[in-house]
Amino acid sequence: MNVNRRQVLWAGGGIGAAALLAACGGGDESSSKSPSEKNEKPRKGGTLRVGALGRASAVTRDPHGTQTNESDYLIISLVHDTLTVPGARPNTAPRLAASWTPSDDLKTWRFTLAEGATFHDGTPVTAEDVVWSLKRLRNTPSGASRLPGIKPGNIKAEGTGTVVLVSDYPNAELPQLTRLTTFVLKKDTADKDLGKAPGTGPFKLDWFRSGNARLVRNEDWYGGDVLLDAIEVKIFESPQAMANALLAGQIDVASNVGAVAARTAERREDVQVVRRPNDMAMPIVMRTADGPFADPKVREALRLAVDREAMVKQVLSGYGTVGNDILGTGDPAYAKDIAQRTRDLARAKSLLDEAGFDLSRTYELLTTEDISGLAESATLFASQVREAGIKVKVVKQESATFWDRTWLKGDLYTTYWGTNDSVVFFASKTMVSDSGQNEAGWKNTAFDAAYRKAMGTKDTAERAKVLRELQRIEHDESGYLLWGMADGIDLAAAAVRGLPTLPGYGRVQLQSAWLAR
Amino acid sequence: MAGPLTRTARYDRGGPAGGTGPRPVPALSRAVRYVSGVLARRALLLAVLLAFVFAAVELLPGDAATATSERGESAADLAARRHLLGLDRPVLERFGQWMTGLPTGDLGTSARGEPVADLLSRPFPNTLLLGGLALLVTLVVSLALGCWASARPGGAVDRAVSGGATAVLALPEFVVAVALVLVFALWTDWLPAVTLTDADGSPASWEMLVLPTLALAVPQIGWNTRIVRAALADESKAPHIETAVLDGLPRHRIFTHHLLPGALPTIAAGLATSTGMLLGGAVVVETVFNYPGIGSVLAGAVTDRDSPVIAGVVAVTGVVITGVLLLADLVRTWASGGRT
Repeated sequence: MNVNRRQVLWAGGGIGAAALLAACGGGDESSSKSPSEKNEKPRKGGTLRVGALGRASAVTRDPHGTQTNESDYLIISLVHDTLTVPGARPNTAPRLAASWTPSDDLKTWRFTLAEGATFHDGTPVTAEDVVWSLKRLRNTPSGASRLPGIKPGNIKAEGTGTVVLVSDYPNAELPQLTRLTTFVLKKDTADKDLGKAPGTGPFKLDWFRSGNARLVRNEDWYGGDVLLDAIEVKIFESPQAMANALLAGQIDVASNVGAVAARTAERREDVQVVRRPNDMAMPIVMRTADGPFADPKVREALRLAVDREAMVKQVLSGYGTVGNDILGTGDPAYAKDIAQRTRDLARAKSLLDEAGFDLSRTYELLTTEDISGLAESATLFASQVREAGIKVKVVKQESATFWDRTWLKGDLYTTYWGTNDSVVFFASKTMVSDSGQNEAGWKNTAFDAAYRKAMGTKDTAERAKVLRELQRIEHDESGYLLWGMADGIDLAAAAVRGLPTLPGYGRVQLQSAWLAR
Repeated sequence: MAGPLTRTARYDRGGPAGGTGPRPVPALSRAVRYVSGVLARRALLLAVLLAFVFAAVELLPGDAATATSERGESAADLAARRHLLGLDRPVLERFGQWMTGLPTGDLGTSARGEPVADLLSRPFPNTLLLGGLALLVTLVVSLALGCWASARPGGAVDRAVSGGATAVLALPEFVVAVALVLVFALWTDWLPAVTLTDADGSPASWEMLVLPTLALAVPQIGWNTRIVRAALADESKAPHIETAVLDGLPRHRIFTHHLLPGALPTIAAGLATSTGMLLGGAVVVETVFNYPGIGSVLAGAVTDRDSPVIAGVVAVTGVVITGVLLLADLVRTWASGGRT
């Protein structure tokens, strides 16, 4: 569950090829992008060549390690299964765990393994294998944040087909924690064998070399029919090179390639632009604990001073949606009924006046160029709030410095998060008073109470009501200014069908892709 | 290589270049002494350079532990990893330890725990292949163009070649690379836009080498063509050339036996300097073409503040450049009849 810089390390600037390429699209403005998928019958066969970003120096084979390379993560996700996967509605769908049931106090969760699940070497998957894998995951340096509240000793097998997780506290959203990092390996797999360890996933590893891999269909996959014969994953250092490879027909999918490439490809009839909404949040963090933004009125003023539509249009090239200062926009439980905040400079000015905000000072907005658009968002924000009389100077920091010195500490800075399909995720990670990554230093007892109540409420409808209250408090008082959400963008050749459209981790679910050729 | 070092008669009109006579011992030992002297100096230079690399990485904000950490990793975990990577020891000590392993071929361990030698074992030969091809293309094309231009000094060809050479030598590799991709891959679809790798980690087809090689070679061709042209022009003013012309020797013979050998030292020096530029340019060009070379490893290592990897790349590249420079020196020594 833990979100890191994985998705976003490579974000390319919009230099070079893109600008030139935009000129060579050739004619046709009317983009008839969506292939007529409705009447097509899925076809079996073919090899899908997928480009994924990654750095040669950071290649890793450990499913429980830190995968900073998109390419590694993709390969691992196709070979190994997790207990649960992202879904559209609800946002947690079964995979290796076919079903799950909580105890009445929501502390003990029983996961029943899928019928007929086997490893690639033919041996059945047992609860022992799962328990061993989860414990291995839990014992990694970041294991505590991936399986929060679950001590290694509280992961147990019950018979061959059931795994029991006991949480330290009631946790209604526990199955969500088991999405997509709980990769299952055979019990007692040695570290040196990780690279060729059999998985349970829809594809088997044929070969792997320096971040590139060929995967072949697992005929016996318990999860349903896999249509592609094979998937070839190609590692790319830069989004530009990946887009070029797609435009030249050397690959079929350019995964998570970004808005710059999408703009380039928009004019090409033979290229599909696949948008995965709610993929990435890049909110502005205002420190609530102390400093110039500690007064809620000041934060409200900043939220009213921003021109959200202009931000989405300019920073994200329009590939995104306007945000309402609540994180977790992809969650089915996201409170769509809370009124959308819009720009109101007059109100912003009067709030600043009421708060006695010092308008003669220049405030620093710290940012980094880790991902495309982040620094740009800061610059545009600074010019927008100037119209409300606030002087903001953008300071770009080198990535390592930013995460070391500014993140979690700064008064005003940009941040970004890749998983936006869960309101609770953000609440627990970044907003509950004692959360480890409380970016704004926010402490709010009403919010904490709402969070605890939501986590301990079994009834779904009742929980949704509490979650709405939680989001209302977040909307009114938190340290976040979420102006918009960036789409995840993949490019695909005309013949590719069935690509995932879910945000975040959903992007690696390629088992239902097929080729219409 | 029997001939080169023994050749003394620069004005020897008849004999084939090189000659086949016995090898006088003094010349050989002189050469050995010369070579070992140069090697010692270059090794010292490389050591100083590597010290700079370690110092430079030290001066960058953050360190390998923070750069390779996950967002939200605890301070204790970071400290533990810092200790594991030896980052809590003084930089001088780490540099010393890394250097002592160097003669045995031990390039240390990366921040992600992999032996640096393993990390470089596949991409470096790929980069050498690319650089070597580019050097070869540079040599052939710039020699041809330079000779062609100097055939009629001041003529249309001469002016066109000189002008063209000046124009392209000013182009950065990545501009050339982008233009090549645009024209030969995306517009005409003649050549692949990027390099994809095979199961064995090398480029999947020879066609994928064409554009990266050209992108690297084009600016160097510009540079070297001018050098060849200038060296030939200088040489043609020499008295022995005039003598040869007055003697009525055929043009091509004057060219191949008198002009070119005279210009060779300068041409060799030009090419040798290009080697450094080629390997430097490879970092950029490899990114544009997704070429599986040392460039991506180096770029990643800088991001990771991974001193052993960066130093490893510098060391192997430095050795190659030293080798080429030495070769150029030998060519010069030979071509000028050992009068250096």
